[in-house]
Amino acid sequence: MVDAARHPKIDVRTFTNVERVEGYVGNFKVQLREKARHVLADRCNGCGECSKVCPIEVPNYFEMNLAPRKAAYVAMSQSVPLRYTIDENACIHCYKCVDACGALEAIDFSQEDKLIWEDIGSIVVATGFNHFDPSVIPEYGYSRYPNVITAMEMERLNNSAGPTTGNLIRPSDQKNPQRLAIINCVGSRDKRFNPWCSNFCCMYAIKNAVLLKQMNPTLEISIYYMDIRTPSKGYEEFYDRARGMGIRFIQGRPSLITEDPQTKNLFIHSEDITLGKISELEYDMVMLNQAAVPQPDVDSVSSVLNITQSPGGWFMEYHPKLRPVDSPTDGIFLAGACQGLKDIPSSVSSGLATASRAGRILHSDEWEIEPIIAQVWEDRCVMADGKICGVCARACPYGAIIIEEGKAASVTVAKCHGCGGCVAECPHNAITQMHFTDAQVFSQMRALLAENPQEKIFAFRCHWCSYGGADLAGTSHFDYSANERGIRVMCSARMDPDFIYEAFRLGAGAVLYSGCHPQDCHYITGQKVGATRADRLQKLFEKLEMTPGRFRIEWISAAEGDKYSRVINEMQKVIDAIPHEQLMTEIERLKPEMEKRARRMYETPGMDKAVTYSDAMVKAINTKEVKNGA
Amino acid sequence: MAEQKPEDELRIGVYICHCGSNIAGVIDPAEVAEWATHLPGVVRATDTLYACADSGQTLIKEDIKKYNLNRVVVSACSVRMHETTFRAAVAEAGLNPFLMEMANIREQCTWAHGHDKEGALKKAKDLTASAIAKARFLNPLTMIKVPVTKRAMVIGGGVAGISAALDLADQGIETILVEKEPTIGGVMAQLNKTFPTMDCSI
Repeated sequence: MVDAARHPKIDVRTFTNVERVEGYVGNFKVQLREKARHVLADRCNGCGECSKVCPIEVPNYFEMNLAPRKAAYVAMSQSVPLRYTIDENACIHCYKCVDACGALEAIDFSQEDKLIWEDIGSIVVATGFNHFDPSVIPEYGYSRYPNVITAMEMERLNNSAGPTTGNLIRPSDQKNPQRLAIINCVGSRDKRFNPWCSNFCCMYAIKNAVLLKQMNPTLEISIYYMDIRTPSKGYEEFYDRARGMGIRFIQGRPSLITEDPQTKNLFIHSEDITLGKISELEYDMVMLNQAAVPQPDVDSVSSVLNITQSPGGWFMEYHPKLRPVDSPTDGIFLAGACQGLKDIPSSVSSGLATASRAGRILHSDEWEIEPIIAQVWEDRCVMADGKICGVCARACPYGAIIIEEGKAASVTVAKCHGCGGCVAECPHNAITQMHFTDAQVFSQMRALLAENPQEKIFAFRCHWCSYGGADLAGTSHFDYSANERGIRVMCSARMDPDFIYEAFRLGAGAVLYSGCHPQDCHYITGQKVGATRADRLQKLFEKLEMTPGRFRIEWISAAEGDKYSRVINEMQKVIDAIPHEQLMTEIERLKPEMEKRARRMYETPGMDKAVTYSDAMVKAINTKEVKNGA
Repeated sequence: MAEQKPEDELRIGVYICHCGSNIAGVIDPAEVAEWATHLPGVVRATDTLYACADSGQTLIKEDIKKYNLNRVVVSACSVRMHETTFRAAVAEAGLNPFLMEMANIREQCTWAHGHDKEGALKKAKDLTASAIAKARFLNPLTMIKVPVTKRAMVIGGGVAGISAALDLADQGIETILVEKEPTIGGVMAQLNKTFPTMDCSI
């Protein structure tokens, strides 16, 4: 902590939030909100005179609210930086602190939040985790029984810098307990609350037990556990050491804690799986080893940074094995528990790994980004003819398209992120996206639907999420119908209505329109552009009396392999439920309408060649199939 | 836009990866390769045990020269896995990296359709044909170079964030460490001793 504060290259900004992030790798602009602490950082010397005279006391979050702090406070004596803060919500404006500060004049009640923009090349996100509140588990009585405490409360109670200077006492009578129970997996591995294993709590229970036993060898300690997980170096040995010290391990998840109203002692009702018996044992104090959960502001952090969440609320890495500290956004990296729960050695390792990953960029004079960007065909843009349009500019989440009267729209290359929203939205087919042109997508569709198209589930997937979800379905071996045929575009914003019409015109049995969840969009509002369009398409197909389910919209994240598999299987059932004749009749009935609507796509430059080539491809595929069948 | 080459000049090489038994355990890559030779524009199609391995990449690079290929299709794993690998390989052989297209016949085919080998084979062929069709219309592209602001920001001042900030700063990079609370330290600062060595946390 101190090393960070005094490092000449590190600028520590505490009491500061990240408000907005704009830009791209190498060129981020980050807006910070430096919250008003009503103390001038350059004048405060940390003497604490303000705190001494402050008449207001409120619970100190740092002490898990077991001790008070003043409205003029530092959270702990080792705070870095050692600068006081006036708690705006608690302060009664008596200004005694101003007098106590005297000639230093470090207190300034006129201070307001400051908004600051910073130019940044690369960002490391290390926002950590939060503690599960066990009061929602009725059977353990936390918050009803005074002697049931959480792990973090225990941490402060046995800490020599804590509120009791390390003297472990029961909250009900301030006596030292003689019989202590620790219950593991409180809110973890419990489908009512959090299904995950919180990673470090087994070791954490053992650590506290060993520590307390060292401090007081006569203290009887029992740990209730489901499994003891000790997978890292030295951990199993540490567990052995705890057993050798006489700490008792009882395998079983307690079902109930009851309290003796007189003594405030606690009875733990549990099965002891090893002995095959039900037990009801009396303790003076119980520590609930609570689950670790995502930070409460995880949703707003993900939307500010444009990073996806895995189920549960952990930030999604680019690849779970090969790129575990990269976020899907170039130049943004993930360190520590915000990506998934980690103990201290793993958190440090991932922090150091991000420094190496970010260093690759920050030591370069320039960085290469993919040229998958939009390009305007100037001769097709109606703005060039003096008409008013600007649809493309409105669809662009980055303000990358410049519209001037009498001039064709133009794309600012460095600002374009390549979602393809403008391309799909342009009513005149005057924009194309490099590497995802209409001709390319059309040719792919023709090849995929060359044979028995009515059997196919045609899936449009965005690169970042639903394509990743399809990958995960495979990696997890979640079987789904092999009739699925997929096309990848960068964002659902690129899924041109013409593509959907064309897929149905070609006779697809069903079409899936899938992308990321709104908060996960890699292109800020790209998904919104796609979703609005998809809803419009859905209404149209309803009006055209298409069998419900043949067109489906689903938002599937890269972490939802199970969902991808389920959706495809459900779509297969939709096709299976329609009698063959009826399906063929419906496809034929809708064909003229689809043809009429998809017609515009054929006017796109390059499409004539795509049609010629695709005809040859379809012919080759079908001829070959006949040969194979013969 | 770069001009499209006329179709008669099109020379596509197609590589169907076994990925050991990951793909070959469900479908026969040689059958897909044989089938692909009949598709328009394909001048070379073969199966390979591991396309991503040195041997596989060397095969592709040598073929580019030997068959004068101007498009390469690799039917193997996810683009999220090896697109950069194969782009680099074709670039080494002098081909624009954006003239390489992948078909995902592992994650999105054999791994998901192990229960339906016949269906998986049909799909692998279709996905390969689709990649060939896209390859036909690929354009050579050049990477965009952007300048780099040599400053880092670390959001969160717990043990992971502090480690990242210190290491970045030790590399000589100016680093802003942002913390929402009035002090850095995070959860770690609240802990007493830490396992398994029982040393202090701060």
